[in-house]
Amino acid sequence: MIEFLEGNDAVVRGALDAGCRFFAGYPITPATSILTGMMRAMPDVGGVAVQCEDEIASIGMCIGAAMTGQKVLTATSGPGMSLYSENIGLAIMGETPLVIVDVQRQGPATGSATKGADGDILFLRWGTSGGLPLIVLAPESVEECYTLTREAFDLAERYRVPVILASQKEVGLTRERVDLEETARLCPPPRPRMAAPADTPYVPHAFSAPDDVAPLSPIGGPHLVRYTTSMHDERAWLTADPAVIARMMEHLRRKIDDHADEIARYEWDPQEGASTLILAYGVAARSAREAAARVRAGGGRVSLLVLKSLFPVPEAAIRAALEGIERVVVPEMNLGQYADVVRPLAGGREVVSVTRMDTDLVRPDDVIRQGGLL
Amino acid sequence: MKPEDSAATPSAVGAGPAAVSGGARTPSYLDEGSMPLPFCPGCGHAKVTTALDEALQMVGRPRERVVVVTDIGCVGLTDRHFNTNAFHGLHGRSITYASGIKLADPDLTVLVVMGDGGAGIGGAHLLAAARRNIGICVVVANNFNYGMTGGQLSCTTPTGALTATCHLGNLEAPLDLMGTLRPSKPAFLARTSVFADDLPALIARGLSADGFALLDVWDLCVAYYAGQNKLTRGTIDDMMADLEMPAGVHHEGTRPEFARAWRDLYHPDEIADEEGMCLLPPDAGLTPVAESPLQTRLGILIAGAAGQKIRSLATILGAGAIMSGLHATQKDDYPITVMTGHSAAEVILSPEPVVYTGIENPEVVLILSAEGRSRVARTLAALPPESRVYVEASLGAVDTPARVIPLDLKGAAKEVHRLAVGAVGVGAILAAEGIYPPEAFEAAARRLQKGKVADTNIAGLRAGAALTPPADVRRL
Repeated sequence: MIEFLEGNDAVVRGALDAGCRFFAGYPITPATSILTGMMRAMPDVGGVAVQCEDEIASIGMCIGAAMTGQKVLTATSGPGMSLYSENIGLAIMGETPLVIVDVQRQGPATGSATKGADGDILFLRWGTSGGLPLIVLAPESVEECYTLTREAFDLAERYRVPVILASQKEVGLTRERVDLEETARLCPPPRPRMAAPADTPYVPHAFSAPDDVAPLSPIGGPHLVRYTTSMHDERAWLTADPAVIARMMEHLRRKIDDHADEIARYEWDPQEGASTLILAYGVAARSAREAAARVRAGGGRVSLLVLKSLFPVPEAAIRAALEGIERVVVPEMNLGQYADVVRPLAGGREVVSVTRMDTDLVRPDDVIRQGGLL
Repeated sequence: MKPEDSAATPSAVGAGPAAVSGGARTPSYLDEGSMPLPFCPGCGHAKVTTALDEALQMVGRPRERVVVVTDIGCVGLTDRHFNTNAFHGLHGRSITYASGIKLADPDLTVLVVMGDGGAGIGGAHLLAAARRNIGICVVVANNFNYGMTGGQLSCTTPTGALTATCHLGNLEAPLDLMGTLRPSKPAFLARTSVFADDLPALIARGLSADGFALLDVWDLCVAYYAGQNKLTRGTIDDMMADLEMPAGVHHEGTRPEFARAWRDLYHPDEIADEEGMCLLPPDAGLTPVAESPLQTRLGILIAGAAGQKIRSLATILGAGAIMSGLHATQKDDYPITVMTGHSAAEVILSPEPVVYTGIENPEVVLILSAEGRSRVARTLAALPPESRVYVEASLGAVDTPARVIPLDLKGAAKEVHRLAVGAVGVGAILAAEGIYPPEAFEAAARRLQKGKVADTNIAGLRAGAALTPPADVRRL
């Protein structure tokens, strides 16, 4: 069925099709239509969606609901991400599957509430204390708001970790022609929650290898479930034993970082003989595609790597795309945040950061001119 | 009719509901292997913990169906000692986790144990939970200071009292939890102290209440507050009298419990597809009904004023294009105060999928109001000469190198509806530019808009198409 939908509408469809049955949120431009969309859609599938008193309560309710076995979603923009920050740390600590949509707007602070930017990218990765990893995906289109929301839920279940969808106004509130029924047919079935065997004692954070991920038994289910924000062992008992703490920290890091290649989502469009690589994500990737098409139409050579997952950094994909490349052009709607992530991987190659944070889209011409692709 | 809520004056603590009076008790909910409790000798939190256990025994829920939710503060160490589900969260946020748990599984018994510190920093959650009347029972072990961090001022520290952060006396007034929450008429509100014999029975009443329950349990912090402020078991009742915050049941209400009420109100009688994919409205798709002659990408900028229905028109314009086999994107630009000022929309139509969603130079601009014209002034000034600017004639001059085509849109709209000026304008550009057949626009309006709105837009479209543009305007 062909429709003319906004990215935020597609997030709602993706969440429902992924099995999300709990949503809590607080109104904020440009993410509000996810809240209202979930409130309209949830009753028909037997789920619950509520508006909370603030963003702290929104993510808190989601974490509570997730621990009863629900797949949960919350959505906000930059100012709300700041208020989510401490609870994102809790979800990492308690290994809670949780999907967060950040429909970014130009900031800092209140910024330009109705205008887009990708200014939260590094904040999404590093925005809670402790520095432990989570997963960040970045859609560039309405269709990807659907597919990556579904993938976000699957990844959250697989790794018991918060997954953030780094959308932004230019994707979330842009309408495009899509056929999500057709798109849905190509998606794998939603990943179910890993159930713990009912007849054996339940260890909420059990692991043998550091990257193991334990099943999640629901509060109210067959086991007594223990959950804590404090430093704990595999049983969720408080611990002050440095050896136990070191092991737990290694677990929380390696269950994500050891699987970076499995989590990596990207599209690589190499061109034989190209010495320049455009590396892009989010809506700027569309400018990058247009720029690459124009360069190639003019007889120039350029390769293109579009990242759909930003964290963990898809290092292997980036390194592979860098082979034979002399210069990397990174267009972004911020002041060069992901260019700083790419630079240490570039092995001394020139990294050209093409930035725009004036609320306009990065233009294909910006990429071509500033990227030296004329 | 539901019975009236009880009076706001506190009553003596009476017998509990039938469910909690007498009868055989279930075994202890405490984990004997985890003893002893970690509290300072003489700390009231030990009494709170045993009272909670007795109350749970009185209520007698299976332990798998009980969740003890705590947060940061000495009393937050209690959950560790309960042989139930246990959730220990961030400082002051226990009510949010408890609310999520209750909303997701309304049959659970959800007990929140927090301190006065948590009640202060999480004050917004207390207010919201009481207003919702969500079925969680909150026990505030209120010892008038932050014990865990060394005895600092809290929201319940009495005026004049001494703490580490008001060592010459507290200048703030203490929060009266009962007085603050009573206007919300939650299910159960009571104040007592850790020394009251009926503390377990009172907590059991809170646990059995059908809705939000809160017990303000005055407590002794022997490490910091009690010594410095000469508070003892013997003087805690005097303190209640001095502060005019009496013990007793302060409210019992009958408002519906939120988690169940939400489902009763919003859930349909039968849920069609609980497990599978979400259900989409059948036959609401934009299947093509016509064919567009458009060969290249076309950027259209519509600039008008709030109230001219610019956004919905742009959606119909794009949907009509899709129903002519084209691709389309739409982006809107309007101030946060949606009923005043400009309203603009960018629509890209293309026979190929749209890659870049910006419009560097719109081929077609439609100006419907002075606010719209000022909003896009910079774009107008930079247009190439081959772009076409269709403008409501009464607005006068447009500062642009592009071809300007004044049309009497308002005049044509008068014949249709005062809100039809935008549809008239869209009708004019669709006809003049030959972008796609009008029947596709009409089909899109019928598909996406309610009957009368669609009628108005279709009539406007036809009126606009009847306006004759200059013969030399380029037709695609």
